[in-house]
Amino acid sequence: MEQLERVLETRELNVSMGPQHPATHGVLRLVLDIDGETVVKVTPYVGYLHRGIEKLGESLSYFQALPLTDRMDYVSSMTNNIGYVNAVERLFGIEAPERARFIRTMVGEMARIANHLLWLATHALDIGAMTVFLYCFREREWILELFEKICGARLTVTYPRIGGVRNDVSQEFLDSLYKFTEEFPTRIPEYETLIDKNRIWLKRTVGIGVISAEEAVNWGLTGPTLRGSGVPYDVRKYMPYDAYDKVEFDVPIGTEGDTYDRYRCRMMEFRQSNNIIRQCIEKLPPGPVMADAPKFTLQPKDKMFPITHPTKKHAFYIDEKVCKGCGMCARACPAKAIFGEKKKPHKINQELCLSCANCYVTCKFKALKIVPGGKGLSEEKLRELAAAPLPEEIKNAAGHLVEHFTFVKRGPRAPEGELYVATEVPKGELGFYFVSDGSGKPYRMRIRAPSFIHAGVLPRLCVGHLVADVIANIGTIDLVLGECDR
Amino acid sequence: MTAKELVNKIFFVEILKAMALTLSRMFSHAVTIQYPTERRPIAPGFRGQHALAKNPEGKAKCVGCGLCAAICPSQCIQIFREKGKVARYEVEVLRCIFCGFCVEACPYGAIVLTENFEYSNYSKEALYMTRENLLSNWDKYMAGKKGEDYFKKFWRPMSEDFGTPQSQAVFRGRR
Repeated sequence: MEQLERVLETRELNVSMGPQHPATHGVLRLVLDIDGETVVKVTPYVGYLHRGIEKLGESLSYFQALPLTDRMDYVSSMTNNIGYVNAVERLFGIEAPERARFIRTMVGEMARIANHLLWLATHALDIGAMTVFLYCFREREWILELFEKICGARLTVTYPRIGGVRNDVSQEFLDSLYKFTEEFPTRIPEYETLIDKNRIWLKRTVGIGVISAEEAVNWGLTGPTLRGSGVPYDVRKYMPYDAYDKVEFDVPIGTEGDTYDRYRCRMMEFRQSNNIIRQCIEKLPPGPVMADAPKFTLQPKDKMFPITHPTKKHAFYIDEKVCKGCGMCARACPAKAIFGEKKKPHKINQELCLSCANCYVTCKFKALKIVPGGKGLSEEKLRELAAAPLPEEIKNAAGHLVEHFTFVKRGPRAPEGELYVATEVPKGELGFYFVSDGSGKPYRMRIRAPSFIHAGVLPRLCVGHLVADVIANIGTIDLVLGECDR
Repeated sequence: MTAKELVNKIFFVEILKAMALTLSRMFSHAVTIQYPTERRPIAPGFRGQHALAKNPEGKAKCVGCGLCAAICPSQCIQIFREKGKVARYEVEVLRCIFCGFCVEACPYGAIVLTENFEYSNYSKEALYMTRENLLSNWDKYMAGKKGEDYFKKFWRPMSEDFGTPQSQAVFRGRR
């Protein structure tokens, strides 16, 4: 009898869900303690996709670190870029021109729609509604094609720049985007027809993962995950950046704070985002797309053309009277064409010279002279030509060239200080915290990733529900592990 | 529960509605593409594999200043020089993240990103781009007017980005 009791004894089972699990949206590992079908304890383990983006950001200049942010939340990389450039712009104390800010708002909302489409597709797929997946990807593909038109990449866009955007939008793009905004509102009812009132969908979502408004705030939730509980907090409304203060939109909120309410919130956000894009297109003002801040943005290339145009054959010549023989140019020369003893005037071996202008940019004593059309001439002839004053056009171009080279090699210098700038990404509040020591690289770059904070609330949402509801809860907080682990 | 809701529940109205939608989609055009045989058009300015630009004389524009290597966030470009000439390029395509910063940094307009995205290979050596590969990519994908257009549209920033150009995209009304 005793033996039989031992056999029939029930125990809690410890199950490891993930990191390789199709429904954990990447590489999330959840260790579940389950009592039969009921979840007793959940322990999330993150970090499987850690690439050290914060640390990498500290070893790259402010300009170079931009593509890293694409790789955080790869589902909506545009909004990450916008968050980054907004933070860096605030740090530099520059402001993007109006047109650039409208374009950014526009593409940011496109990314929001693309993100919510992928969220709806995979969330429904996890729960068991396969058809929605196919419908959502039809429209998502449309947006990605528009992204390709505007910047040449579909996912890792790297489109916004510090002080503006990379290039102006074309008329063709604007027309096709407007066509999208007219078409898209007719597609949203299709998704809703499929699942909104479906009895299986309701059984799987209503009353699952309920979290009250107060508790949601205490857990640090943001974005639609928080708004589903009825807290109308949206960074776009409370701390408007870009052009959000110039467009009208509502912040949809839920009431119950369950999975179904969060789903409804995001469905309403589709409509709001679509509305914002439309307003941006209609209000798009003419003007520049890059801020006029020579120290913080790349130089316009056509101003360097008098020197850099391929038909111009320039030579460089060191003025022996001015050269102090510091050797900086010799170290900068990639072709090792400059030679000479220390503290004595250096010389350029014209046969080895690439005419790349590295020495010209490096020289602090202005000993280097540009000789227009001097390529292939003899030493005496060059000396003669170098003594002549430069045309105004080339003088200006040389100034821009020096600034361009210094910008690319050293990166823009930030003023000392620290700041935190938050932006609203589709997942929630994405914050960038910079500590700057006045050099070209951030001393510390810290990212407040909404996915990381949302992963922490999983135990609270899952305990007491069934194992199958863990999947619904992972879906509802809209987790992307690339951003969570960084 | 009202009578209407009861009827809806008994007769599976919401499920029938959804099925009617999927059934109606059976008679519309397919949105998928049969990839290797069918290809979708690639937008100009696509950021694919690299190419070295040639000037009208047919020589490489690159002088070897090394700015592309300096700005590359993944440090995938290496330039080796010998006797006053660029001896060897090494663009490690496996490491490239296709951000397009090399195009932006180049003051000479010597490097472009082409529309080629199908460059998978069995050997690792073939994915290190050399001078010959880079120049032949230009002939293959960018020769003629296409290359000129690329520089006009996608080699940024230009002065017009800092000012108000003559023709800018604006909302043209419903069409």
